[in-house]
Parts: sequence; C-alpha cells; structure tokens
Amino acid sequence: MFYLLNPGNLFVLLNKASKLIKTIIVPLIIVSLIFSLFISPKDYIQGDSVRIMYVHVPSSWIALICFSLISFLTILNFLFKFKNAFIIYKSLAPIGFVFCFISIVTGSIWGQPTWGTFWAWDARLTSMLILLVFYILFIFSYKFIKDQNLSLRICTGISILGLINLFIIKYSVSFWSTLHQPASVKVLGKTSIHKSMLLPLSLMLLVFLLYCALIFLMKYRTEIIRMKKKGLKRL
Amino acid sequence: MNLNIFFMDGYGLYVWSAFIFTFLVCFVLFFKTKKSLNKLENDYKEEVKKLSAEQTDTLKTRKIPREILTSQSKAK
Repeated sequence: MFYLLNPGNLFVLLNKASKLIKTIIVPLIIVSLIFSLFISPKDYIQGDSVRIMYVHVPSSWIALICFSLISFLTILNFLFKFKNAFIIYKSLAPIGFVFCFISIVTGSIWGQPTWGTFWAWDARLTSMLILLVFYILFIFSYKFIKDQNLSLRICTGISILGLINLFIIKYSVSFWSTLHQPASVKVLGKTSIHKSMLLPLSLMLLVFLLYCALIFLMKYRTEIIRMKKKGLKRL
Repeated sequence: MNLNIFFMDGYGLYVWSAFIFTFLVCFVLFFKTKKSLNKLENDYKEEVKKLSAEQTDTLKTRKIPREILTSQSKAK
C-alpha cells in the first residue's frame, strides 16, 4: 500500500488509469442515462419523480465516502506526518463538496413533488447541510491558512467533528421521526429495492465513481506538478 | 411521438432539472480542473525551457518530470 502511495509510482500508474477511464466513461454515461430516464419503471406511489433517485442517492453516497476518506487521511497525516496524504485529501475534498451540493439540490428538487416542499429542517437534510458546511470549512482551512501546522490541526478537528456528523447522517432516519425515507439499499442487511431499479442505480453509481476517479487523478496530477514546479528552482 | 417520455406525467420538470443540474455541475468541475491542469503543465514546460541543457538532462532522469514532459509532447 505504501509503495502505491509513493508520489512517483502513483503518478505514473494513475496517469494510465486516467486514460482508461476517459475511454469507458462516455458510453457508460449514455447507457446509465437510458436506463435511468427511460427503461427503469415508475414507482407505484411517487411515479416518475423516483428517477431523481438515480442521481441523488449515488451523489449522497459519494459525499459520505469522500468525507470518510478525507477524515482518515487527515488523521493519518496528523499522527504520522504522512505528506502524501495531504495531496490526496486536497484532491478529494472538492469532489466530495460538489457531490454533497448535488445531493442537497437534487434532494430538494425531489422534495417538492414528494413532500410538497423544497426544504424542511428535517434531521437527515439538516445533517447533510452541516456536512456541506464541514466541506467548506475544510477546503478553506487548507487553502487560506498559510501556517501548515495550524492548518493541519484545524483540518483534523473538522474531520473528527465531521465523522460524528457522518454517524448522525447515517442514523438520523432511525433516531428521529423524519420526512426522509430509511435506506433501501443496505450493504449488510436485506436490500428492499427491486432489481429493475437497482440496475440503473448501480450503473449511475459506477459512472459517478469513475468520474470521481478521473477528477481525482487530474487534481492529483495538478498538485504534483505544482510541487515539481517549485522544485525546479532548486535544480 | 410520445411526448410523455419527456413530460413524465407532470414530473418531467423535476426529473430533467435534477439530471441537467447534476451533469452541468459535473461538466463545470471537469473543465475547470482540466483548464487548471493544462495551464500548470504549460507553465512547467515554459520553466523547463529556461533551464540549462545539463539541468534538463538531470530532470529527465527523474520519474515524475519525465512523465510530465512526455505527456506534454504527446498532447502536442
């Protein structure tokens, strides 16, 4: 694992992966859009508005996964001063922020036909909004605080608080009576969603994950080149 | 032509706006990231040009700079 996290090896390997993703992502987007918008069935209660799920749910998952990874890497960097972790979480944070924002906006659009309102101060919705605020604070902390040690300490603090918030997001639908429905897709439990809807959902998740990987690779490359550019002066 | 595919029994406005918003945001992030990457790669290339032949040779023995410079020439 540490061999792969070495910037030099990772740089060469990930650049090849980036080219591969670019070739397969467009056909996958087309197929997943056809499935999500036209082939998948309507919901017997929500009708066609259920199709918003295919962009809303994967976005939410990615926002949560990204923050978990960022928190893990920030704590790793704080404890072991593992410098490459900084480059990785710096590349991941904007992706997580964008997907958290997409999740909130698409959820809000879905809320209007389903609940009759774009927004409610419901436990799930509010905790997702707090996650967005954590993302903003995290990005601002590494971008605008020049003192690296102070920036790292603030980022670690935000990560720990954010992890508590992730727990609240996950269990908000169980702890409180909320408008938001409980999870239909469970990793460990029984999934209650029908296969005809699970397929487009999985396809869209795959597309979003590939997209995230592509953006991550581009951002990672940007950070490495920025570092190497500074290094040119020392030659 | 069955226009209900697009109207979706009145839900079309919500569904299409959610999808368009999602993909628009993704495209903006992609192009913004690509633009800053290209700019930085070009800046790097310009700075390498200013180096002496000896410095350039030293640079080409290193894995990452070599990879950046190779991908630059491929991009041309």
